[in-house]
Amino acid sequence: MGWLHRLDRLIGQIVAAAQWLALPLVLLLFLQWPLRDIVRGYSREANDLGQIIFALFVAVSVTAATRAGTHLAADTLAQRYSMRTRRRLKQLGAALGILPWALFVLFAAKGIVVSSVLGLEAFADTNNPGYFIIKAALWLMAVVIIAQAAVDIFRPKPADDV
Amino acid sequence: MEWSGFALLILVGVGIISTGLPAAFVLIAVASLGAALGLATDTFPFSLLWALPGRLINLFDNDLLQALPLYVTMGLLLGRLPVADALYRTSNAILPKRASAPLVSGMFLGALLGPMNGSVGASVLGLSRVVAPRLNAEGVPAATRDAVIAVASTLGVLVPPSLVLILLSDAMLNAHTYAVTQTGRVDRVINTQDVFHSALVPAGIFLTLCMLLAWRAGRSQALSPVRERLTPQEGILAGFALFALLALLGGVATGYFYAVEAAAMGAFTLLSAGLISGRLHGAVLRELLHDAIAITGALFSLLIAATTFTLILRLLGTDRLVDNLVAGIPGGDVLATAVILGVIGLCAFVLDAFEIIFVIVPIVIPPLLVRVADARWVAVLVLLTLQSSFLLPPFGYALMMVRGAAKNPAPFRLFVRALIPFLLAQWMLLIVVLLVPKLVHIGENAAESTRAPAAPVSNEEINRRLREMVPPPPDIEPK
Repeated sequence: MGWLHRLDRLIGQIVAAAQWLALPLVLLLFLQWPLRDIVRGYSREANDLGQIIFALFVAVSVTAATRAGTHLAADTLAQRYSMRTRRRLKQLGAALGILPWALFVLFAAKGIVVSSVLGLEAFADTNNPGYFIIKAALWLMAVVIIAQAAVDIFRPKPADDV
Repeated sequence: MEWSGFALLILVGVGIISTGLPAAFVLIAVASLGAALGLATDTFPFSLLWALPGRLINLFDNDLLQALPLYVTMGLLLGRLPVADALYRTSNAILPKRASAPLVSGMFLGALLGPMNGSVGASVLGLSRVVAPRLNAEGVPAATRDAVIAVASTLGVLVPPSLVLILLSDAMLNAHTYAVTQTGRVDRVINTQDVFHSALVPAGIFLTLCMLLAWRAGRSQALSPVRERLTPQEGILAGFALFALLALLGGVATGYFYAVEAAAMGAFTLLSAGLISGRLHGAVLRELLHDAIAITGALFSLLIAATTFTLILRLLGTDRLVDNLVAGIPGGDVLATAVILGVIGLCAFVLDAFEIIFVIVPIVIPPLLVRVADARWVAVLVLLTLQSSFLLPPFGYALMMVRGAAKNPAPFRLFVRALIPFLLAQWMLLIVVLLVPKLVHIGENAAESTRAPAAPVSNEEINRRLREMVPPPPDIEPK
């Protein structure tokens, strides 16, 4: 299962890279107010750039939550299940819940994303470039979710899983 | 097929509790099942599912949602910097040397940091770390300690500009837009600022009640307080933090800057302070950013799952059914609103506040606002209900979190007993706001709540205004 390990590592690297986007996001959104009220310019540019960074950040964040186990869940009852049952449930959740949905999003968004990227769509309000990245972020989200679901489904069971 | 939407909702609740899987995954799985059901029974064509990517992209370019990572980052920074500790100790030093002082300081800290913390969970963890050990040291009984921490951690739900408030405002904006379009009313659609203003008075009342109850709880303990000396550095840090927090709150309340900007300012200030003071060095910063993206993802995945789920409910026609059911509730505005709040309260047994805002509010609030014109009033009542839901025994999220975070949790019965005065105060406030809608309109300019002009405008005036907006080119200007 070398491919699975490599895929898992690649997703980890994507998440590790994306987490740093929080810093420019905070900076750009902070700058909006002084740019608008003091400099009286470029606040829309800061907003648009912030929007692009936000889209990329949240696109990867869904998988980051899955890997870190921070999703909101009510597991009071499930805590009583055996490790094996919980692992099976997790695999089932990935296989029947999130994977088909992400595949559908990838497929259904093709027209919107491809035309936007090929046309290098700009922000409608400001005409600033880069709006196509926001639409492409939807694909990024779907691809990373699919990859993580594959890792979760095919991950070999631990030695103590009997 | 409209009724199948309710079956899907029940399935979501059962799925969340019985599988322990993330609520977002359960929502998506049940939505997929609903979609398959709808397609198999020809309730809607496959092409309508193509609306989903567009809806998801709307989430990516929603200005208000940028607040998510900002609040999460702020909450994490507050947990790693000594701000909370300094504020608590300063408040304790200022208050009279009574046994009640630490309890009131804990409540005060919850009110100050709650809005900045991002979530009730983050507030519970922060208060458990800062306040709980000190209350233990001063001999406060575990039940009183846990009750004060649980209540204080939910204050951020009501006190603007909290994340719950921002997300609810967005849901209310969509619901109100639907209602105004459906009815043709001339109401101005509610925005985040309106919800902030409307929540201020009820939040102030509840905060005052909580302080008084905390003071009373401490008095009945008859403790001898033990105090550590406050260092000048802590005093200065607390003073600066208090000034910054109040400036942000005031700036948002007066509309000087937007909620997202306020969150960005808070996050930027804390981040800069952490970097300059050397507390956020390499590994700590990496860990903080890792937690920030993971927690943001937890909230965002819930949002995309709810967007998918509510689309399927619409395609199944459940929204129209809910419209009819809400329209058919007998009685006036108060009864209809009370019934919907009851539904939200029931949902709180299995769903937490974010799930309710993303899944339940978009289904039940639009038809309610078709009936009830006062969107501000409804928004504040929903907020109060959500706050109640966090504290509702036995499964309230804040209660579970406090018991999970405490090293020596109080027996549950004693914990609930200590909580009862606060719960009664909260329910009393809910009933008072329900019966006295004016409470959310104090200081409101009536002309701002409508799009209709104050006086009829003549045709000449309309023409003059149009000419001002679009002056004719000079070469065709009449001579």
